[in-house]
Amino acid sequence: MRNLLNFLLKYNNLIVFLILEGIAFYWLAAGNSYHNSRMVKGTQGVTRGMEERLSNIRYFLNLREVNETLASENNALRNRLEQFTGQDNVRFISVSDSQFIQQYQYTSARVINNSVNKQKNFFTVNKGNRQGIKVDMAVADGKNVAGVIVSCSENFSIAISLLNLDFRLSARIKSNGYFGSLNWDGRNYRHAVLNEIPQHINVVIGDTIETTGYSAIFPEGMLVGKVSDLKKSGSDFYKITIELFTDFRNLQYVDVIGNLKRTEQLGLENQLQ
Amino acid sequence: MINSILRFSAIFILLILFQVLVLNHIQFSGFVNPYVYIMIVLLLPSLTPSWVVLIISFLSGLVIDLFSGSPGMHASATLLAGFSRQYVLRIISPRDGYESGSDLSMAAYGFRWFFIYAAVIVLIHHTALFFLEVFRFTDFFRTIFRVLLSSFFTLGFILLISYYRKGR
Repeated sequence: MRNLLNFLLKYNNLIVFLILEGIAFYWLAAGNSYHNSRMVKGTQGVTRGMEERLSNIRYFLNLREVNETLASENNALRNRLEQFTGQDNVRFISVSDSQFIQQYQYTSARVINNSVNKQKNFFTVNKGNRQGIKVDMAVADGKNVAGVIVSCSENFSIAISLLNLDFRLSARIKSNGYFGSLNWDGRNYRHAVLNEIPQHINVVIGDTIETTGYSAIFPEGMLVGKVSDLKKSGSDFYKITIELFTDFRNLQYVDVIGNLKRTEQLGLENQLQ
Repeated sequence: MINSILRFSAIFILLILFQVLVLNHIQFSGFVNPYVYIMIVLLLPSLTPSWVVLIISFLSGLVIDLFSGSPGMHASATLLAGFSRQYVLRIISPRDGYESGSDLSMAAYGFRWFFIYAAVIVLIHHTALFFLEVFRFTDFFRTIFRVLLSSFFTLGFILLISYYRKGR
């Protein structure tokens, strides 16, 4: 009791202050509807924010399983789709072996190592020879280009990222079909450069850039990015800057795409050279 | 004692009337509202018990609130200024301390001391007041700008009044 009294005496100032300030704030909240609504909203905001954060954490903890089921489901659907679209060619190929009808085989994989800040970036995925991954397969992030497998071990593969000065991709403007060579200029991980588009062609900022499929690595019509800037340099070609659709900083689940008819195409093409 | 209470009541009433009848009707470009009534808190004698300071500052804010139709705002801001007064006084105390019973006026302690004292209290009061008025932290720097501008004018008025009292 004595201690309590001492305490009250010592802090009487603060206590008077707090009581009066409490009265003032009560008056403030009761007298002004604006302040009242903001106070109520503020306290609700705190509780709601906490609930939201909790549910976010719960959601995040489940994310791995959700992702894995989604990726495998996606994969199965893609394979199925390829089987159906492939059947259009039925009159050319009379064999009903799915290997021959289907041109692209999708395998989902997880990126386990990645970089965007070097000049020559590579990333590693968690599947290799044993899972059917081979060199020169394409790597895509959903519908967007990510890279090409350059080396495989039994259970892992290394892919050259689009963000690598050595990476070349045959890409075209979706609206008019003119194609050029796409590479990264080593500056910004969000942008790449499309070369060899002649200046007489009408290019608009915002045009979509997609792959051509000439290299027999990427399927035709995979998305790369959209035109964000274009310059007419001294030569006859545009210098087109492309904003990439793929966010390489956030590359998690990728699809490795194998072209089942690649050897056939390359073999035919090599006969002429 | 009685004398000083009477004198102080006169100061209280005069400043409140000045604030309510004159300054509340002055609008310099919407940004500037000088609140000179805070002088009540400034001028209380140095040996006033701090709970009296608190109650007087609360009352003056309350009266201003009643007159200007802004419940609670001036009361809480002025109360905060009154609460911080003792700490400000302790920090900027002159070399030979405060004379008991004297006014905390420019005449007693000089321009420099009074200026710092008034500026700190006015800034505390105006910051609390203007942030209570908008009651949010978006447009933070706009509010700060209003605080500084109004503090400048309030301080100007306070110094003018102090000069007048000193010269008399």
